[in-house]
Amino acid sequence: MTRDPRAFFALDLGAATTSAALLGRVPDRWRLLGSLSCSSEVPLVAVLARLVERFAAADPELAVVLGAGPAAASWPRLTVHSVPPAGLAVVAVSERALGALADVAALTGWRVIAGSAERLDPLSMTRMLLDPEVSSVLVGAGEPPGADERGGLGDLAALAAAVAIRRPELTIILAGAMADQGPRFEARPAQGPGAVVLAPAAAAGVPPGTALRATLEGLRGLADDARRSFARATATLAEALDRRIEAIDIGIDGGVRVVASPRAGQEPAMTAAAVVADAGLAPPDPDEEVVDGVVGWSTLPADRHRMRDRLRELRRLPWGDATGDGAPFRLSAARAALERLVAATPDLDALPPADMLVIAGGAWAVAPGPAIALAAADVIRRPGVTQVVFDHARLLAPLGTIEDHDERRVLLADLAGDLLAPLGTVVMPQGMRGGRNAGRLLVHGATGSSELDLVPGGIELVDLPPGESAVAEFEFRDQVRLGTRGKHFAVDVAGGLGGLIVDLRDIPLRLPDRAERRRELLAAWQEALWAGVSG
Amino acid sequence: MSATARGSRSGPRAAAAEAEAIRPAPGIDLIPRRPLLQRQVDAWIALSPGDRPLVAAGDSVVPGTPLAEHLRDARLIEIAGTGGLRPGDRWRGEESDAGRRRGHPPEGELLFESGGRWWVVAGEHSQPIDSPVSGIVREVRPGLGIGLRAGGAALEGALALGGLARGRLELATGADGELLPRALDVGAAGAILVVGARIDAESLTRARAMGVRGVVVATLASKDRRDHLASESRQHAALHQLPTFAVLVLHGSLRRPISVPAMALLEALAGRDVAIIGKPPALVFDTEGLDLPPDPPDVVHVRSGPLAGQSGKWAGLAGLRRFPGATHLEAGFVRFGDGPPVAVPLADLERLT
Repeated sequence: MTRDPRAFFALDLGAATTSAALLGRVPDRWRLLGSLSCSSEVPLVAVLARLVERFAAADPELAVVLGAGPAAASWPRLTVHSVPPAGLAVVAVSERALGALADVAALTGWRVIAGSAERLDPLSMTRMLLDPEVSSVLVGAGEPPGADERGGLGDLAALAAAVAIRRPELTIILAGAMADQGPRFEARPAQGPGAVVLAPAAAAGVPPGTALRATLEGLRGLADDARRSFARATATLAEALDRRIEAIDIGIDGGVRVVASPRAGQEPAMTAAAVVADAGLAPPDPDEEVVDGVVGWSTLPADRHRMRDRLRELRRLPWGDATGDGAPFRLSAARAALERLVAATPDLDALPPADMLVIAGGAWAVAPGPAIALAAADVIRRPGVTQVVFDHARLLAPLGTIEDHDERRVLLADLAGDLLAPLGTVVMPQGMRGGRNAGRLLVHGATGSSELDLVPGGIELVDLPPGESAVAEFEFRDQVRLGTRGKHFAVDVAGGLGGLIVDLRDIPLRLPDRAERRRELLAAWQEALWAGVSG
Repeated sequence: MSATARGSRSGPRAAAAEAEAIRPAPGIDLIPRRPLLQRQVDAWIALSPGDRPLVAAGDSVVPGTPLAEHLRDARLIEIAGTGGLRPGDRWRGEESDAGRRRGHPPEGELLFESGGRWWVVAGEHSQPIDSPVSGIVREVRPGLGIGLRAGGAALEGALALGGLARGRLELATGADGELLPRALDVGAAGAILVVGARIDAESLTRARAMGVRGVVVATLASKDRRDHLASESRQHAALHQLPTFAVLVLHGSLRRPISVPAMALLEALAGRDVAIIGKPPALVFDTEGLDLPPDPPDVVHVRSGPLAGQSGKWAGLAGLRRFPGATHLEAGFVRFGDGPPVAVPLADLERLT
């Protein structure tokens, strides 16, 4: 892909956002020449034309060298798509079996609805499976089936087989002992819509659930699925930078969380990822939990009904009404979505903390960089030192489509500085006692040193521009956790749009119960990193 | 109707010629385009297991043709296995059946067979589902729905609540108006009312009670939506059924006026028979004799943000601009009336074809 041409487009075509980036070889390495994001309703040809036009206006000489003109329309393209998640109905005989299946399915990017024969009568379950939003049905049982399941396997399979006759387009997935019920289903295509697929039980694999997850992910994916590519690019980036990376992508229709670490000594490289449909910025029909989540992060005085209205509007027009109150509202919704993503992926929390946090996705499109870093720090609360960067041109997923591993790695190494906008470094100690002063911080930078007191419960900001690095020396009064336990730490920190963010708030974050006080506090923290947002 | 938005009144041909002569400022292709009218309307009338379709694929229907019978009290019964039947087929019991003696309904829809027994959805009470439009039945799927290619055109909305409805379109308020309960009386019986920017649940309940067949409104707040659905649910459970009542929400949940082009269309349709369908959420009508000149090519409509509902003329790209809320967005200049150009975020704009 990148060997012959001198320039190409990287396109991330999402359900709400079209992101186009222009990359060129200048002179012997790949550089990001420009990018543009806008509503997915805008024709791609217009977006590309505008992108090339801007590039040509900014650097006419280079544009001539690369041949940017009418011929640019024929430049190669790396394209990924993300589409609204398809509906997966998960059914089982017992609530116990259903829980295990639904938990696995929820991490695979499907929009899951679930019901067991224990709770639903056959008519309600049939209605659920006949819902046009459902495109696949996972009928599962343990392997071997539990005592609470054995008596009902036949009836449940018969019900699903009858639904399959009515809806030949449904893909049926028979998991665990339910696979034995395959003969009840009429002959169907071997693959694609309408197939009957045999899958492992919910507990199969190491760790448990991985085998069924692989099957469900395989059935969901498009050939150029953005979420899968995002995970692959993150793994390659970790290798190229030789750093442990966590990457978060929040889109209108789902969230992706990836943790990747490079090979280190005898330890092999590792990548763990989850795609959670419920972690979208604006779920289709926001329930009470979703609305409460947004209300909890909101800096705006709005009741729950009003907040639900705003979420519905956000879903209908994801790029609309982004000014005034609309801007902080979006960031509240993004925080709530990130919170749902983190809550759905406790296994990834258990992995060692990342050196670098990559933020991506359309949810952050209208917020300034420092506010994005704060939003991430509000939700992802782990003691340690993390550099926060932003995939501002949404390049990771398209670059993940490059099949050749070495080519992908070279390109990501070339582009890392361009594609990752540095937002800052977040330092988050845990275990400070309350009081006026928890210690002192000395920052030794290229242009001098600065010193400040560490006050528990707040955020301290140190100006450290992008491209600069410094050594931060912490002297705490008491022992704290900052990677390891101790009182004195000296850590290397990288600058960014938000500088050095020393987050001395509780882990996990505790906010006032009173809505007004909570909003004031959130607004004060946000105002510090998003000047003018309130006015 | 605004001349700015919809061109001159000298007829569609003249307006089209005028449109050709206008060359909009550069950058207008970054504004999304969508058709104001859907010229092909494929309606989907949802059925539940137990509902009995009364039409077959290929049938022609006119407004009022019964499409199906909706089973209001669906419940499950179990019968002995019967050969040669498939899920979704109808079942009719014999007078001599033991089940009939136990009070089983006389007929129903087969759900599934297990262990030599069929589970059947049956009930005693049904109500007709009549076609609100003329058209051709494209497919019938028992338990799922009926696909119908409707004649005419449709104005799509954001959401529809309730059933299918047909009636004479009446303008009850202006584009930015709001209908209060006391303004509704039986004089509006049988009509589909255009009620402006918003309506509350109380007004919807009263409208239904007064015999109004449907409401077209710019926005409906979530609270009113929830309350109306709860009221509808109680009504469905009642023994005495009122005619179906439908609500078509054109623009969303947050209050704003009906957009200029949509209002112009509704004004043109006033007095005609129209229908509300749920999937897609739309107002369906006959286009015969309807004079709808196209938008001039430089006209843009504001669909969201503080200026939502207004229309103006495109005056070129404004680049990345800072807006209230300390947000930087790609913007374009729009001239509203005779005023100076105003920078509006591109994403708040749309063009209609």
